[in-house]
Amino acid sequence: MIQVKTTRFGDLQVPEDKIIHFPEGLLGFSKLKRYILLDYKDTSIKWLQAVDDPDVAFIVINVFEIEPEYEIKVPDSVQRLLGLERPEDAVVLVILRVEGGKLLANLQGPLVINSLTRKGVQMVVENASVKVYNMH
Amino acid sequence: MLVLTRKINESIRIGDDITIKVLEIRGSQVRLGIEAPEDVKVYREELYQKILQENLRAARVNATEFDKLKEVFKKK
Repeated sequence: MIQVKTTRFGDLQVPEDKIIHFPEGLLGFSKLKRYILLDYKDTSIKWLQAVDDPDVAFIVINVFEIEPEYEIKVPDSVQRLLGLERPEDAVVLVILRVEGGKLLANLQGPLVINSLTRKGVQMVVENASVKVYNMH
Repeated sequence: MLVLTRKINESIRIGDDITIKVLEIRGSQVRLGIEAPEDVKVYREELYQKILQENLRAARVNATEFDKLKEVFKKK
């Protein structure tokens, strides 16, 4: 078990094999390479909490929860980086945020994670966008 | 910063394995051909900045915003 200090959830004890490694970090957070994924109660959203910075956590969701038709081509270089061999091992998460009462989902910078190796990468997708949704 | 002048079909080389070639100049637009190893990330600056800024904003979600999201994604 490792101890993860967090601003939002206090101190957590997490099994080492739950850590997700982002070898390149996320854009703007290149030094933070280890994260844990926390379910949030009765919702489909999760928190992606940085292991090495208590303040940094992103709200994420499986892209198919909000965009069932979402398609992504994972380049060979990324497949190699993640050790990804089968499409079904890939989990695609998108980062959510709220601005001016709207929900913004960053479909342009999805997080692709190999659920077997627990390695992830933030991809930059040219032909996608940050999608804005009304919240009801 | 290094500033170089190049003509069409001329290149610059960065390190041993990156070349950037001027393919076409049309008015104020320049088309570049970039060859780089596949593990070198090449992005348009605006796109890189956009995602970086999105990440910075997303990492600062406050409690009120989170409460709203929580409601939206509550499992039925």
